[in-house]
Amino acid sequence: MTTVPANGAVDVLSAAPAPPPPRPRVLLVGTLLAGGAASAAICAMVALYTQVRAERLAQGESWLPEETILPLTPGNMAMVTLLMSAVTVAWAVYALRNNDRPHAYLALGLSLMFGAAFITDAAYLWQEMGLGIRDSYQAVLIYGITGVHVAMVGAGMLYLVVMGFRALGGQLTGRAAEGMSAAVLFWYVTIAVYSVIWYAIYVTK
Amino acid sequence: MTVTEAPRDVADVTAVETETEPAAPAGLAALVGSGDPRVTGALFVSTSLLFLLVSGVSGVLVGFEQIDLSSADDVLASDTFAQVFTLHTVAGLFLGVLPLLLGIATAVVPLQVGASTIAFPRASAAAYWTYLVSGGLLLAGYAVNGGPFGGDEGGVALFITSLIALLAALCVATVSVMTTVISLRAPGMSLRRTPLFSWSMLVAGSVWLLTLPMLGGLLLLVYLDFTYGQVFLGGASGVYERISWVFWQPTLYAFAVPALGIIADIVPVFAQTRHKRHRVAMFLIGLFGAASFGAWAQPGVALGEDAASPTPWRYDGPWIVVAFVAVLPVLGLLGLWTATLRAGRPRLASPLLFALVAGALLLLGVVAGVGTVIEDLDLAGTTWMTGQMYAVLAATLTAALGGLAFWAPKLYGSLLPEGSTRLIATLLLVGTAALALPYGIAGLLDQPEWLTGSAGDLDDVDTIEVLNLVAAIGGAVVVAAGLLAVVAVARAAWGRRPATTHDDPWNGHTLEWATSSPPPVGNFAGGALPEITSEAPLYDTRHAQLTATSPEASAR
Repeated sequence: MTTVPANGAVDVLSAAPAPPPPRPRVLLVGTLLAGGAASAAICAMVALYTQVRAERLAQGESWLPEETILPLTPGNMAMVTLLMSAVTVAWAVYALRNNDRPHAYLALGLSLMFGAAFITDAAYLWQEMGLGIRDSYQAVLIYGITGVHVAMVGAGMLYLVVMGFRALGGQLTGRAAEGMSAAVLFWYVTIAVYSVIWYAIYVTK
Repeated sequence: MTVTEAPRDVADVTAVETETEPAAPAGLAALVGSGDPRVTGALFVSTSLLFLLVSGVSGVLVGFEQIDLSSADDVLASDTFAQVFTLHTVAGLFLGVLPLLLGIATAVVPLQVGASTIAFPRASAAAYWTYLVSGGLLLAGYAVNGGPFGGDEGGVALFITSLIALLAALCVATVSVMTTVISLRAPGMSLRRTPLFSWSMLVAGSVWLLTLPMLGGLLLLVYLDFTYGQVFLGGASGVYERISWVFWQPTLYAFAVPALGIIADIVPVFAQTRHKRHRVAMFLIGLFGAASFGAWAQPGVALGEDAASPTPWRYDGPWIVVAFVAVLPVLGLLGLWTATLRAGRPRLASPLLFALVAGALLLLGVVAGVGTVIEDLDLAGTTWMTGQMYAVLAATLTAALGGLAFWAPKLYGSLLPEGSTRLIATLLLVGTAALALPYGIAGLLDQPEWLTGSAGDLDDVDTIEVLNLVAAIGGAVVVAAGLLAVVAVARAAWGRRPATTHDDPWNGHTLEWATSSPPPVGNFAGGALPEITSEAPLYDTRHAQLTATSPEASAR
């Protein structure tokens, strides 16, 4: 029988079933696995790139077609941009865990800005190369690999935005910030993958 | 303040809320909108069985085409032979065997680990629908003269893109299953106490998540290369070369890892005793999984004058080591299962029959793998490898069907018909032996994997043609077994159901048998689970009760 408190309100809550226990690390583990799979895909592409390049160099030919420039500066800048974003996403999680929401949103905004800067940088680099995708198979490989990575960065930004909105909506709190940690983990995987691309394509050319 | 109106009772509140809720969807809407892992798993299983039939029929056509080596166009036109062969292998693995395993895992793994549902249930359901659509598009690609070696550019591009989408769907389903094993295990179930099928899915999933995306990434480059006119990766005829390494050892073994887990879960139940050396079995399954990572075993990309002859590393060190290492865990597990059966009181029901057949076929496959790497035998590139592929994949299929027979009460609420399932297991054994062994012997006689319309420089053509005839008949027998399996599953899923007399008809050892058949929404009514103190909690509970009610205990 339901009790009626003195103020007349019905005590429904006490009769409700207990909430399900929280599921630990589900999103974090799922993100780690998905990030690992995505990085495996890109690393396979990079492996094919380096193998084809080695094959061509072994034949005594130059790798890139004539008049094609693969400038190192934009590639370096992109790497530095992502490294800076690694700090800001860590700041976002730290701030959220400490219930410091203004700083969490600021850090998230900066991270997204770095992400956008990276995409702009990649687009600039594509323009600078002066290489049409139909021009050579080197172009197919370079655009294929860097294009997929830019898509991965875009997915990472979307993930951060979704978790940012969930934080705004109060679903992520200092005690339950797993969603943000998962988004940040994916971002770190994105950076790690770019470091492989940066070395294999831009540094060693 | 005076209360002038009697407060509603909680039950009344619930009743009013129920009345205002929209009606639950039924029919197709319920199917499409369902996030229930049992529904998703059953959909994966039934669809994959149908795709397997497509693969099987195309394999039989290829087999009969190869009987008369001196003439082409007997069954298949010479320009479609290669397409049908690739349809057979690609559909068999990516549309058939892998989704079948994932379907069983999607339905069973959450129950085995004591979870209320699978991790990311909607992603898992989305994976199924992506698989269905991309599988249909993949077949459509072949239908419009596409696929590897196809003549229609759009059809080839459709094949590549649909295969990439298919691989992504399989990866998502794998992530769901793996996350369930890692994060949603019931209290008390440490990783060491995880049932062996769930463990094998964790091991296999780890390898799949490294392998399938790699294949997807390479296919993306093939697509760009094909679409933008460079075709340095071989164009339509080079597509299969970028895929074919998954059908060779060691990658081939990665798809057989869950078969070990299924057999390992079936054997102790039907031996009516504990699995001998459970942790050793876990290690051996892990070792087999580690040996099966084989993305390194791809044919290289050759440019210029060597473009027509990319060289796989068939006789290099890693290839040889892996071939020998892969035999050890299979032998070890067979030894453990023999010991388990000897220690118990075996009853030969259909799941155990499937398990024994699968174990024997897998041993045949991995031993044949050793022959492939012995350079003096010179078997690489011959039908010896085709026979090995059939042995390993048929072992996996047999184990998966055994798993279906075992877990049918959880998927469909009723058992598969015992007579049919025994017949299927027998046909699979006979058919696979007739399929794989003749190809192996023909490989010893130097028959290459790809040969039609010309006997080439083969010495003993008559013998090889007889062997090919036997292999083709064996393939037809396997297809007949697949057809019977489809009928048996359809009867269990949609036919008149012989009501399961018991939620646990086999006296199972693991948590999936602690709930009703089929399980309710949330898997375990009221969240009640037995105490988990070992890898076989129900076996423990049953034996504790037996001990308590024994005459000796009563006397005390």
